[in-house]
This record gives sequence, C-alpha cells and structure tokens, in this order.
Amino acid sequence: MIRYMIKNNLKLMLRNKWVIGAIALSPILVIAILSSAFQGLMKSYEGVDEFHAGYRVETDMMQDSMEQIKEAGKEAGIIFEEYPEGDVKTLMGNNNLAGFVEMGEETYTVYVSADYAVEGMTLTYFMNQVMEEGCNQALHQMLPTMQQEEIELPIEQLDYMPAINSTDYYGIVYIVYFCWCGIASAIGVLASEKKNGIDRKYQVSAISNVKLYLGKWIPIVFVNMIEMGIAIAVSVVLLDIHWGNPWMSTVLMGLTIMGSVAFGLMLYYISRNLVVTIIVLFISVFVMGFFGGCFETYMFSTVSDAIKNASPIYHVNRALVEYSCMGQSTYTNSSVLYMLIIIGICSAITIIVDGIRKRGRV
Amino acid sequence: MSDIILSTKDLTKKYQNKVVVDSLNLEIKKGEIFGLLGPNGAGKSTTMNMICSIVKPTAGSIELLGKNPWKRKKEVIHKIGYIPQDLAIHGNLKAWENVELFTSLYGIKGTALKKTIDESLEYVGLLDKKNEFAKNFSGGMKRRLNIACAIGHQPDLLIFDEPTVGIDPQSRNFILEKIKESNEKGATVIYTSHYMEEVEAICTRIAIMDNGKIIACGTSEELKKLVTNGSDNITLEEVFLTLTGKNLRDYTGQA
Repeated sequence: MIRYMIKNNLKLMLRNKWVIGAIALSPILVIAILSSAFQGLMKSYEGVDEFHAGYRVETDMMQDSMEQIKEAGKEAGIIFEEYPEGDVKTLMGNNNLAGFVEMGEETYTVYVSADYAVEGMTLTYFMNQVMEEGCNQALHQMLPTMQQEEIELPIEQLDYMPAINSTDYYGIVYIVYFCWCGIASAIGVLASEKKNGIDRKYQVSAISNVKLYLGKWIPIVFVNMIEMGIAIAVSVVLLDIHWGNPWMSTVLMGLTIMGSVAFGLMLYYISRNLVVTIIVLFISVFVMGFFGGCFETYMFSTVSDAIKNASPIYHVNRALVEYSCMGQSTYTNSSVLYMLIIIGICSAITIIVDGIRKRGRV
Repeated sequence: MSDIILSTKDLTKKYQNKVVVDSLNLEIKKGEIFGLLGPNGAGKSTTMNMICSIVKPTAGSIELLGKNPWKRKKEVIHKIGYIPQDLAIHGNLKAWENVELFTSLYGIKGTALKKTIDESLEYVGLLDKKNEFAKNFSGGMKRRLNIACAIGHQPDLLIFDEPTVGIDPQSRNFILEKIKESNEKGATVIYTSHYMEEVEAICTRIAIMDNGKIIACGTSEELKKLVTNGSDNITLEEVFLTLTGKNLRDYTGQA
C-alpha cells in the first residue's frame, strides 16, 4: 500500500512546479548574488594564478627540493624567484613580490606583503601543505631505512594540496546549505493534509506509523534529489563550479538530503505547524551553517574545532570541498556517519511522536 | 453471534474541565441507519471521532464488532468507512488518484484496486470525471468524491459526519439515495446531520444529543410521541427544538 502513497505524494509535490523551481534555483541565485557582492574578493582569489614570491635557501639539501616546490607552485599559481642575497623587505618592495620564503635547515619563514593579503594567505597555506606533505614523505622513507641505519632526508616527490577556488567553495557550501531546507518542497502535501483533515483519515486506516512516515519521507527525498540535481547541474554549467569525486559527492549529497528531510519532518511532526517548522528549521540550519563554514571559509574561520566538529554541515561541507580540490577527503567517514545518525534518530523520533499523539490524541 | 455492531458504555470525553461527551450509552444494530442529531457543540463529531479511533475517550468503553477499537485497531479498522465533515481529499490529485490513495490504505492493490477505483467513482456518479483534478470540482462533486474515497474497501459500518453540508438539493438527494443503497446492500450506517428532513427520510432510528448526552432515542414516530402524545402534525424539527430548546448555540469546536 505504501507505493500508492509514495506515488501520489510524489505527484502532489511535482505538480507544485513553482516551489520546485524556487528551491532548485535559490542556491544558484544566492551564489550569483554573492559572486557579484564579493567580486573584488573573488578577483583576488582568482589572482592566485599569477603572483610572484621570492625565496632563499640556506642549505644545499633543500635546494634540490626547491625545484619540485617551484613546479608545484607554478601549478598553484605561485611563481617562485630566487634571491640569494639582500634584505627581504627591500627585495619584496623593489620586485613587487607578494611574499617571500626563507628556507632554513630545520625551519622556514614566510613573509607576506600587507598589499597582497589574499596572496599572502595562499602562499602560507601552500607552504604549510608542501612542508607537511614533505615531512610525511620523508618520515615514511626514514622508517624502513632506519633499520639499515641509512637515514636520508631529501624529498623525492612532493604532492601538495591545491587551494580551493572561492567560487567552488561558496558554490558547494550554499547548495549544501539550501539542501537542508528541503522540507519546504513538501509544503503542498503537508498543507493539504492539514487543511483537509487528511491526517485524521489516515488514522481511520490500516496503515502503520512506519509506513505512513515512509510514505512521506521517500517522495520528499526523491523530489529534493531532483531539485538539488538541477541546482548542481546549473552550478556546473552557469557558474563553472567543480564538484570532485562524482561518486562520493553524489552519495554524500544523497545522504545529506535524506538527513535533512528526516530532520524537517521531525520538526513538523513535533510542532504540527508549518510556520513553526520553517522558522525552527531555518534557525537550526543557520546555526549549523554558521559554525559549519557556510558563511566563511573554514580555512580562515576563527571558530573553535570543537564547535565546528559539532556541526553536521561542517563535515559535509569539508568533505565535498576536499573532493573538489583533492578528489578525496578524510571527512568522508565522519560526514557519512553524521548523516546516518541524523536519519536514524530523526526518523525514530518522528514515528514515536506520531504514535504517542495518536494514542493520546485529544 | 450478536447483531450489535457498535456499542458504547459510559463513553466520556473531557477537554480540560469541559465535558463534551457525558457517559454516552449507545447500541447500534447491524443493518440500521442510525441518525445522530444535535445542535452545534452537542458532541456528535467527538463521538464519531472516538468511535473511529481518532479521539481517545477520557472514560468508558467502545465495542465495534465485539472488539475495542482502541486496543485491537488492526482487527476492526478496515470494517469502518469514515466520511468526515471535512473534505478529506487532495485538490491537486485527480479524482481516481484520490480514490487510489485512500483505498490503498486498506491493503487493496493491483488489478483489484483499479476495479475498485472505477466502481467507487461509478457509485458516486463521477466515473466520467475520473481524470479531472478534485480542485476543479463543485462542492457537491467534492462531497461525492469524499464518499468514494471511503467506500472502496467495502466496510461493514459507514460513518457519515454531516455529508451534505453546503451542497445543492440534487447532490444531497443523490447522496441520500446512495446511503440507502449501501444500507440495502448490507452496510450499517451512522449518520449525523443538522437537516431533520434528511434524517427522518433515511434513518431507521434517531438519537437526539445535547450537551454530550443522548436525551432521546427511537424511531421518528417514537420521538414525535415523546412530545405530542401521538399527534401526526408535528415535525421532527419541532421535536428537536422542544427537546433541545430554542436558545442559540454559539460553539467553538475542539475535536
């Protein structure tokens, strides 16, 4: 019997084309508006393709590695130029350098120009990634060679993490952000049920609470997948947003949609009021988004790690953004787990609340 | 086997301190068309809702086909066809889709469901409108569709809660004819209404309810005798006004 309910609820939602169109295109509109509003910032980000940084190497051992760093820098838009002698500040001023890197035997120092704040952050981020990766690889090589008592430090192959493009970043996180408001596409069904007393009619039927829940949850998830599919397709075609790792991005977006619909339905079943549901949903999503890096890139966020980690949106954002720039993410497991927990807990609460209301209905 | 299809014993419903249904005792036999009359706020809809497991009683018991519907809902719920006062249909679904949705809730599927949809729509005279959206229907057509959505699973007990509110005489007459037809085919009917002539025309027994209590119950003739000692010149409406009074009832619903 559930398939007929799914089918007809699906028809009810799909016939509400204005709602579907609005939800699918809202993130695109917001991304476009933000792109326009922060055009200057975005241009600065785009400028990472072509900026110059100086460097100086104090040991021969690092000189070999520097060639690889220069190659990697070129791919990230950083043109390294060697300045073996001279005062760093003077060199930067005279040669219009955005930054300068001094490579010591055990340490390195990054100087950034106040006139090139964004390039400076990009250079710092790039160097951190390069050195971290370099150290990891050196350590990896040391362990087996230590047994032979032959310790070699030189880095053979550098694999740096490219910085995320700001358009990709905002494009991805705003689609995730809007994805959490997906329950809004079910307004046609929920409002009609409430207005016409259809929930009472469901009570005078043989359908179980679980089936009744799934009869709504499944079609809402399906419609949201269509909406977000449209949003993603438009974001790729019109805004040139790059989604990395298509399979994992699809799985994670799918799970996020399932979780968001479960969360929205739970709020509706608790409040039994569409207006209250929408208000509470938007506040919850805003808070999760605020701490989850929807309004500020997480790389530069000052929010503590503990608070960020508590936001499910942070994990999903981070994983999807890392897919985009690296093709993989260490946040995959945590984001999948978060979504599965949300789906499970919210669905259980919804079914229990509905059961309690029916048993003790006044 | 008992011929009582529904009985209530001291059935009571309170909202905070207000008693809406007060120790109601009813017995409805199989094959009856039982009319429940009462002014606004008398407790008719609350009683119907308690019978249909929508509103939980504060006290007392209900037996539907010998079983408590609150404890053994799965066993008895498919025996009920509930036609609510509200038009419980989706405007953005076509007529046949509405019937499909509500009939499928009782486990009917596939070819049987398709056959039932056509039969139900034909029964209420809407088969030729099956592909039209319910939102485009007139009030009378919506009422008929509301009925079609509740009869597909062929229930033993049909509960009509004011099914003729706000419709034209032709549609009203059609609905009353169909109720009689259903009864002749074996269904027991509980019918609530404000229209005395309707109740008098189709009901085999009538209960008049006021302030949550049954104040009179019997056939139309028995009720008339209660207030006139057998005079034929009195109408059921006059009986009703004599028993319930002529004061206006301003009521804000709760159930």
